[in-house]
Amino acid sequence: MRRPRAVTLPTPHPRRALAVGSVLALAAGPVALAPAPTPTPTASTPAADQGTQLYLEQCASCHGPQGQGSQRGPSLIGVGPASVDFQLSTGRMPLSEEVPQATRRAPVFSADDISALVGHVSSLGGGGPQIPRVAPGDMVSGRALFAANCAPCHGAGGSGAVLTNGWIAPPLYESTATQVAEAVRVGPGLMPAFPSQVLTDRQVNDLTSYVQRLRSERLDRGGNPIGRLGPLAEGLVGWVVVLALLVGAVRWLGRRAGE
Amino acid sequence: MIMGPLARALDDRLRLSPITRRALAKIFPDHWSFMLGEIALYSFIALILTGVYLTFFFDASSADRVYQGSYAPLDGATTSAAYASTVRLSWDVRAGLLIRQTHHWAALAFVAAIVLHLSRIFFTGAFRKPRELNWLIGVTMLALALANGFTGYSMPDDLLSGLGLRIITSVVESIPLVGTWLAALALGGEFPSDEMIPRMFITHVLLVPAILVALVSLHLGILVRQKHSQFPGPGRTEHNVVGSRFWPGYTLRTLALFAWVLAVLFALGGLVQINPVWLYGPFAPAESSSPAQPDWYVAWGDGALRLFPPWEFRIGGYLVPAPFFPGVVLGGLSFVALYLWPFVERWCTRDRHPHQLLDRPRNHPVRLGIGVGALTFYVVLVVAAGDDILARLLRVPVYDLLALFRVLVLVLPIVTGVLAFLIARALRRGEAVSLGELTRADLRRATRPAPRRPAGEDEPEVPVRHRPGERIEMWPQGELWRWRYRNEARQLALTNNRAVTSEQEAVETARLAYPGVDRVVVPGPPPPPARALRVALRRWGRATAAGSLLVAALLGRRRERRRRRDGDDEPPPA
Repeated sequence: MRRPRAVTLPTPHPRRALAVGSVLALAAGPVALAPAPTPTPTASTPAADQGTQLYLEQCASCHGPQGQGSQRGPSLIGVGPASVDFQLSTGRMPLSEEVPQATRRAPVFSADDISALVGHVSSLGGGGPQIPRVAPGDMVSGRALFAANCAPCHGAGGSGAVLTNGWIAPPLYESTATQVAEAVRVGPGLMPAFPSQVLTDRQVNDLTSYVQRLRSERLDRGGNPIGRLGPLAEGLVGWVVVLALLVGAVRWLGRRAGE
Repeated sequence: MIMGPLARALDDRLRLSPITRRALAKIFPDHWSFMLGEIALYSFIALILTGVYLTFFFDASSADRVYQGSYAPLDGATTSAAYASTVRLSWDVRAGLLIRQTHHWAALAFVAAIVLHLSRIFFTGAFRKPRELNWLIGVTMLALALANGFTGYSMPDDLLSGLGLRIITSVVESIPLVGTWLAALALGGEFPSDEMIPRMFITHVLLVPAILVALVSLHLGILVRQKHSQFPGPGRTEHNVVGSRFWPGYTLRTLALFAWVLAVLFALGGLVQINPVWLYGPFAPAESSSPAQPDWYVAWGDGALRLFPPWEFRIGGYLVPAPFFPGVVLGGLSFVALYLWPFVERWCTRDRHPHQLLDRPRNHPVRLGIGVGALTFYVVLVVAAGDDILARLLRVPVYDLLALFRVLVLVLPIVTGVLAFLIARALRRGEAVSLGELTRADLRRATRPAPRRPAGEDEPEVPVRHRPGERIEMWPQGELWRWRYRNEARQLALTNNRAVTSEQEAVETARLAYPGVDRVVVPGPPPPPARALRVALRRWGRATAAGSLLVAALLGRRRERRRRRDGDDEPPPA
C-alpha cells in the first residue's frame, strides 16, 4: 500500500498550510493541546504503520532503520518522545543538508504525522522523557527561574545569544509552551537538560508561562525594542539620530545664516 | 508693555545695560560646525530637566522592597528599592517611562555631541594658544560625562548594569597594590555593598552635575572673553570675528536648535525603547544575561577588555593582572593624551603664536592622520565590544571574530591614519577643492616628499589668482589710515574696523587679510552703495518726516497764538 501523502512531500503548499495550522494549534496553548492523544508505543496499528513508513522514508537514512544511528546521525534509542516531538515540531528535523546546528523552520510534518513518528521512535525502546503537559503557572516564580537558568544564554529578553564554536542559543519568540517545556527536559544541542530532580513540573509550568509572556509586545512598551539587543544597538540608533537629525539641523541652521 | 519699565527699574538698580549691550552684540561665526557644542549644551539641559523629574520617584537604596504594580512578572517580588522604584517609574508613574527613556537618550546624545565637538576642535586646531585652557576644561567635562553616564546607567540596580558595575569594580581592583583598597573605599565594602547605590546617586545627581554646571559656565565665559575663533575667508583676520550678532540673529538660531534637540530627544524617548530594566530583572551576583554590553561611550573599555590577551605577570611579588592594561592603562593614557595634546603639538611645531583663525583640516596632514587613526582605534574597540551580537547576526564563531578584531585594532588605525594623511596632502598640494575632485595624480604627488619652499616664506600664502572686481581701498583719516575690501561682483564692501597709524601698516594688514588683491589709495571713504529703491524710500521718508514736523510746528504755533488771544479776551475766572 503506497501512501499518497509520502509521495506529495516535496510539493510544499498543502503541507505548508497544514504545518502552519498545526503551529497555530500548538500556539493556541495547552487547552488546544490537551485533547490530543498521547502517543504510546502500543498504539493502534494504522498509526504505527504510518510512523514506520514515515520513519523509513524520512529519518532512517541518517539515524539508521532501527534507530541505532550512523555516521551521519546520532542514535535515537532512549531520546524519548519529548525530544522527537521538539525536533519535529520546530522543523529542525528532518535536515535537508548536513549543518552543524539545525535552526527553527516551519515543520515538515503534520501534527498527526509527528505523533505517529513519536510513537514509532518510542517503540525502538530506551525510555526517555515524555512530552510534558504544560499548564498556566506563576509568572513571578517563572521570571526568577528564567533569570537563574535561561537568561545567561538566551538573554534576559529572550532574544538569544551566541555560544562557542558558531553555535547560538536561539531566540524564544516563536516557541510554544510545550516546545519550551520539551527543551527544558531534553536539552537539545548544547543546552543542558533539566530533569524533574532539578526543576519540578510546577516550576516548568511557571517557566513556560513567563517565556510565553516574553513573546508579548506589551513588554516592549516604550517603543521599538530594536531587537532587544541591548545598549550597543541603542548607541547605534543614538549616533544615527544625532548625526542625521541634529547635525542635519545644525547644518541647515548654519547654512541659512550664511545666505 | 510691562517689560520696558521693569527693565528700566532693574537697570537703575543694577546697571545692567552696559553688560547686556556688550553681551547682545557678541558675534557668533555662521559656520555650522560651531553649533556642535551647543547640541551638547542643550542635551545637558534636557538631562537636568528630565533628571529632576526622575528624582521625584527614584528611591536610591538597596534595602528590600516589595514591588506591587502593573508589571505582572514582578508583582509581589522582593527586590532592592532602587530596582523596584525604577520598574514602578516605568510601568506605574504617569509619563515616567517617557521621561526616563528621554533622559537615557539625552545621555547618549550628550556624549555623542561632545565627541563631535571635540573632533571639530581637534581637527581645526582650535585648541591652540590662547584656547588651551578651554580644551582642558572640555576634556574634563568629557571625562565627567562618561563617569556620570556610567553611574546613571548603574543606579537602577538591574542585572545588565550590575554586570557592568562588577566589571568596573574588577578593573579598579586590578590596579597593583592599591586596587582592592580603592574599590573598597569607593564602595564602602565588598562589591555588592549597601552603600553603593546611595553613593552613586549623590554623585550622579549632585556632585558631578554641579561640577559640570560650573565648568560649562567657565567654558562659555572663557569663550566670550576670548571671542570666537573662525575659519579663514574674505574679510576674516586674526583681529576680527565675522558672523551674526547674538541678538537678534543668533538668538533665534540657537533657540531653534534647542527646540530641535528637545524634539528629537523626546521623539526618541517616546518611539524607541531604551534600557528595559523590567526585562533584565534585578541584579543578583549569581545571575547573568547575554548579549551584555555597556552604553556605547564606555564600550571602548569593554572592547579593549575583550580583545586584550590574558597576560599577567608579577612585579616585586605583586601580581599585575590582565585587566590592568586594557582597563586602567588604556583609559588613563587616552585621557592623558587628550589633556596633553595642545602642549605636545606646540612642542613639536614650535608654534608659540596665538591663533584666532582656524586651520582647515587638510592644512595639517599629520594632525589629521593622528586624529583619524585614534578615532578608528576607538571605533574598532566599540565594535569589538559587540562581537557576540555580530557573531550571532553573521553566524560566525565568536572566537574567529575576536581574532579578526585583534588584528583590525592594530592595523586599521594605521591604514586610515596614513590614508587621511595622504588625502590631506593631496588636497593641500593639488588643485582639487573637495574630496570628489581628487585625481590619481594628486594622490601620487602626495606620496612624494614635500617640495622645498623658497626661504623666507613662512606664512602659507594663498596662491594668487586673478580676482576681477576686487580691490582694497585705503584712505587717510586725520592722522590715521583706514582701508576696506570691495568686491563689485558680490556687491560687498567690508571696512576694516581698526584704524592703523601709517599707510605702510594699512598695506600690511590688508595683505594679511586679502593676499593678492590690488590696493589703491582713495581720497576718502566713498558713500555706501545703496539700492535705488532704498535711496528713494529713505529720501521720501526724510521728506515726509520733515514735512510732518513742519506742519506740526505750524499747527502748534497757531494753537498757541489762538490760546493767548482767547486768554486775553476772556475775563479772569471768578
